[in-house]
This record gives sequence, C-alpha cells and structure tokens, in this order.
Amino acid sequence: MVSKRFLLKRLLLLVPVLFGVATLVFAILHLAPGDPARIIVGQRASAEQLQQVRTELGLNDPLWVQYVRFLTDAATFQFGDSYQIAKGTPVREVVSETLPVTIELALFGQFFGLALGIPLGVVSAVKQDTLTDHATRIGALTGISVPIYWSGPLLILFLSTYLGWFPASGRIGATIFLDNSWQLLGTELPLTGLVTVDTLLLGNVDAFLSAVTHLLLPSLVIGIYSMALISRMMRSSMLEVIRQDYIRTARAKGQGARITVLKHGFRNALIPVVTVVGIQFGSLLGGAVLTETVFGIAGIGTMLVEAIGATDYPLVQGTVLTFALLFTLVNLGVDVTYSYLDPRIEQ
Amino acid sequence: MSRSDPTAEGEPPPLATALRRRLRLLASGVAVGAPAGPVAVGVLIATGRRLPDAVAAGFALGTLALGFGVLGWSGSILAGPGIAAARDHLAVGSDWTETGSRRAMTRIVGVGVGVMTTTSLLETLA
Amino acid sequence: MSTDTDTDVDARSRGLVARLRASPFLSELLSNRLALAGLTIILAMLVTAVVARVTLSYDALTASRLGGTIPDRAPPGWIGPAATDQYLFGTDASARDIFRRSAYGAWLALKFGTVVVGVSTLAGVSLGIIAAYYGDVADNVVMRTMDVLLAFPSLLLALAIVAIFGNGLWKATIALIMVYTPRFARVVRGAALAVLEDEYIEATEALGASDPRVLIRHVFPNTLAPITVQSTLNFGLAIIDLAALSFLGFGASGAAPSWGLMLSRGVENGLLTGKWWMSFFPGMLLALTVLGFNLLGDGMRDALDPRMRDAVD
Repeated sequence: MVSKRFLLKRLLLLVPVLFGVATLVFAILHLAPGDPARIIVGQRASAEQLQQVRTELGLNDPLWVQYVRFLTDAATFQFGDSYQIAKGTPVREVVSETLPVTIELALFGQFFGLALGIPLGVVSAVKQDTLTDHATRIGALTGISVPIYWSGPLLILFLSTYLGWFPASGRIGATIFLDNSWQLLGTELPLTGLVTVDTLLLGNVDAFLSAVTHLLLPSLVIGIYSMALISRMMRSSMLEVIRQDYIRTARAKGQGARITVLKHGFRNALIPVVTVVGIQFGSLLGGAVLTETVFGIAGIGTMLVEAIGATDYPLVQGTVLTFALLFTLVNLGVDVTYSYLDPRIEQ
Repeated sequence: MSRSDPTAEGEPPPLATALRRRLRLLASGVAVGAPAGPVAVGVLIATGRRLPDAVAAGFALGTLALGFGVLGWSGSILAGPGIAAARDHLAVGSDWTETGSRRAMTRIVGVGVGVMTTTSLLETLA
Repeated sequence: MSTDTDTDVDARSRGLVARLRASPFLSELLSNRLALAGLTIILAMLVTAVVARVTLSYDALTASRLGGTIPDRAPPGWIGPAATDQYLFGTDASARDIFRRSAYGAWLALKFGTVVVGVSTLAGVSLGIIAAYYGDVADNVVMRTMDVLLAFPSLLLALAIVAIFGNGLWKATIALIMVYTPRFARVVRGAALAVLEDEYIEATEALGASDPRVLIRHVFPNTLAPITVQSTLNFGLAIIDLAALSFLGFGASGAAPSWGLMLSRGVENGLLTGKWWMSFFPGMLLALTVLGFNLLGDGMRDALDPRMRDAVD
C-alpha cells in the first residue's frame, strides 16, 4: 500500500517543480523580444509614459529583485491582469475558467487512449506475428501519422457538418443553461467546471448527453495519439511477460493459453505501461492545444497559444505554470497507481 | 530513494557526507557558471547589444540554467520509474539512473547560480 | 570494419550491387513490403516537390486571384460545375488553385524537414559522440540535459522556444532543431558506446591512435545505420510538428503555400460550411508523407542489427 510518508514526499516535490518552472518562465519572458511596458502603453506612447509604466512594473529594479518578486508572485499565483487576450481580467480568473475545460478533454482523451491502446497491445502480443498483429501495428503507425489538425477537421466535416451526428464545436448545446451551483442536502455547493460532472450534479440528463456528444469527437482525436504509444508499449511489455517462466509453467499445467495470459500476465504487463502514461500525458497536453484550436473549445491550451501570439506576458506565465502543475499532479497520480500495482516496491 | 539504481538502496550515508557531496557538485557548477556569466555578457555586447540589455540577457540565461536544473532534478525523482520503464520497453539505451540524473542537474543548478551571481554583480558595478 | 580479413577482400572484389545485396540490412529492408511502400510514397512526394519547385512560380501561387474569372471556394473539378474542371483539388478563399499550392507545399515540407533533421542530426552526432567518448562529467551533464529535454512534450517545448525567438517559418525551424537534437544525441551515444565497448577499439587505443582518429575512423562509421533510421523516423515527426506550428500561427505566414497554414485557413473558411476540399487535400498530402516516413523508418528499424536497434527510439 501507499504510505503517507511516500505521498507527502511526492507532494513536497511540487515545490521544486513549480520553482523550476517559474524560473524557466522568468527566463523565457526576459529572453523574449519586446518590452512588456511597450505592449501595455502601445506604439504611440511618449517616452515619459513608457518610463512611468516601466517603473510601475518594476522593470527598472535590479534583476535579482525582479526575479525574487516574480517568484513570490508565482508562489501566490498573482500574475495581475491579462494585457491583451482577456483585457483587464485577472489571469487567475481566466485560468480557473479555462483549466477545467482542458482537464476534462485530457481525461476523456486519456480514457480513449487506454481503452483502445491496452486491448490492442494485448491482442497484438498474444497473436504475435499473425495478421492481427501486423494490422494492429500498421493501424498504430497510421494513427501517429495523421495529425490531429487534419483528423479533427475531417471528423467534424463528415460526422457533424454532413451527417449532423455530432456538434462541430463548443462544449454543450447553445440552448442549455446551467445553474451556477448545486444543492446537496440543502447546502449550496460550487460546480466543478467539468460539464459532464456538473450536468450530472444538477441532475440534468439532457444536458449531460449534450456534453458527452460534444466531448466525444475531440477526445477521440486526442485519444488516437496516445493509443499508438500505449498499444506499442503494452505489446512489448506483454510479450516479455509471456516469455517468462511462470506463464510457461502455468501453460504446461494445462490451462487454456488465453486465460493464462490474461490471468497471470496482464497485471504484471500493465505496470510499465502505467508508468509511461505520466510522461505521455505531456504530449497529450500538446495534443489538447491543437484539438482545442480545431474544435473551438476555449480551454487553457487555446489561451496559451493566443497569449504567446499576442505577447500577453501575465497570461503566458499563468497558463504555463498551470500546465506544469497539471503535468506534475498527473505524474504524482501515476506514481501512486504504480506503487499500488507493483507490490515489489517498498515505500 | 532511487528505485532504478539498486546501489543507492543500501545504508544511506550520514547526512553530513551526503550534504557535502551535493555541495561539491553545486560548487563545481558555480565554478563554471561564475566566469561564464561575464563571458556571455561580453559576447552579447560584441554582437551589438547595449550593456544593460546584455546584462539582463545574461542574467536571464542564468535563470534558464537554474530553472532547467531544478525542474530536471525534481522531474528525475518524480518521473524516474516512468523514464526507466520507457527505456526498457521501447528499446532505448537503458543506462539512465535517477541518481545520475540528479547529480547532473545539481551541477547545472550550480552553473545557473554562478551566472546569476556574477551578472548581478556586473549590474551593480555598471 | 576495416580489418583485412579474407571475407573483406572477398567483398571488395565483388561489384557494388553484389555487395549491397550481401548487406543483411538492405536485403532485410527490401524484403519488407511496408518499408517499400513507404519509400515509394516518399519518392513520389520528392518528385512532386521538385516538379512543383521548378515549374510553379511562388508569386503566382501566393497572389490573391479574387475578382478574376476563377471562382473562389470552388469544389474540385470532378464534382463541381464544368467551369472548374481544371481545378483538381478546387480553389481556396482567395480563388487560388489548391492542387498547385499543395504540390508546392510538398517542396516546403521536405525542404524544411530536411533542414530540421539535417541540422539536429549534425548537432546530435557531435554531442553524442563526444559524450560517449569522453565519458564521465561531459557524458553525464550533456546526456542528462538531453534526457530532461526529451521528457518535455515536443510541441509545448517548441512553443516555449518560439516565444523566445518569435514567429516565422525559419524561427519555427530553429525551435524544432532544438527540440529534435536530443533524440539524435541519445541514439548516437548509444551506438557509439556499443562500438567503444568492442575490443578492437581498445586495441586501437593501445596501439596509440589519437582520440579524433578513433572517433572519425571507427566510431562514426558504425553509428551511421542507427542515425539513418532515427533520421527517417523523425523526418515524419518534424513535418507534423512544423505544420502544427504553422497551423497555430507561429510558422509560415501570409499566403505561403505551407500545408499547416493551408489547413488552418481551410478550417477557418470551410469547416462549418462543408467546403471540405480546402482542408482535406493539404492534410492528405501531409498525412501521406508522414506515413511514408513512418513506414520506411519502422521497416529500417526492424532490419537493423539488433545490437544497434536498442539505441533507436
């Protein structure tokens, strides 16, 4: 089992991770071309105005003072207001609105990746070097060859625009309005921001179905990408387990080959796959950036892209740090799952 | 402690020794970074930047190394088993160890700190 | 390897074709139908790219032709009205011929893909061989840095670098070179270590051969095969990532006939109105090219000497 000490140690790691990321963001912003003060005041402002804003932003302070101030701001998630994209809105607000959107998309995408990748990998391994195996491997190869920003539009065109089976963009039907809070035993509680969860909390089944149909295409598009890696990994890991002695012994004792493999091999073969899910979640987030753009979903990925495009520095800081936090938390979860799955590890 | 490196599983060395070893790694990084800072600023000036801009860029390069090192250090611990498993099963060279990675990252942190210190000094002098 | 054994003399006296046929790598590769299919796709794209580059004028491809006799957003000739039958892939929102632009896109993709893969291979080879040969501190710091860079999601890392350098096709290319170099460094180091472990290198050193000579004469030639495989596999990825940056608005700009940008414009102008040809054809060529490289690369990896295979991702 997972000990409290182990969990605490992992949680403490969040501190250096975020410190490191914040420092990197500082570096990126200070190496990037362009003067933040100039972006705020605009091209036509006078030199005096520019100087005034520079002083207000603290850009005239010694470098190490700027760095320390940046770190303390980052630690309390105080990035000020967005310059351009959501002009005047605090970055903290923008992030808290867009983050659940991306989390939901990524979780569904990861679900599809695992739900498709694991069985495919197992089948591929059990039927090694047969037609099924080859077909699966070619399928996975094709899956990673088709870019998200092509498969996404194609699915929208054929399943939404022509057939009308799925909505083309957004998160929920335009005619559906959700309350801002839900009630449990008479107390009002805030919503999660994950539409599929919220609609259920509110007990609105129609809205839930609408949310699911909206999510299906984008998460499938992301899922295909992680499917390719997971199935490849699962196949290799499963093959290794099958070759091991105890499986052979079990087979020799006369149990059916397929059952043996599933019973003895599956759990062991799953361990390395789970560990990779954490690292691969990073490319899933990269995929989410593209998918959100294609499907017109206003998640934190879209925010990141727009913020970089418009040199909206406060928003860049906020979104990058949030991405790092998300990535770290997922890896933390993976670590816990891993130590739970693998009884050999003593915490 | 490290799972990927069985040699690290044994008796942990006394705290003082462990600390000293880490400080030595850090110091070896600082020894590289401290002179590298002014050199970088010099190069930046030679490529046509004004002194304050060059110093700011030099300092930012230092934070780049520091941030990278710190992130790499904690990432090695956090994603260690994942990286090791990916190596084993996707048939990639498999001599990655968490300890080795952490040591290298400590050095890089030292380089970053060195660069940041000397460029800050340059800034106050200039 | 250049030791004078009987078999080597044998091999030298035979013709080039016979020698190639005797190479286990090539014969294995040529018997792999998927790899051959991949190679065919790549060659077809290469021909398309070169023909487009030679016969088409870039200015004519990028200039807006609105207001002329050609309809804008016209469907491909074989399904649309007879007036558009000269447009195999239809026209875009500025009444430009999507077929010609897609063909030119092949040139851009292959050109910039070659730059990304070529430069990062060179950088990776230098770093990897140096790390493997000089070992210890250099090896540790260089390779662990590469490992951390590898752990970053490639698109997000490229975005961060673009944020530093700014937008544009060449800047996006530089960002991708920085993202891809670690992959080559690691492969080369793995292969170089495998060579260095061989006894004959130790013997060469004992005889007093100097460092650079050992590196150039013995280590480098033996890393060529895994490097080629890695380059092929990453060529497809580089094309995808480069197009992704263009798609997001950080790479090619204006009216450049790059696949990523054409896709982005096609999604903008044709997705909800059902004008599928504007995004379908550029994307199809892109996916086909990438598939070609992935098929060939995968086949090459299988054909590789197992000892070297371990080094290739």
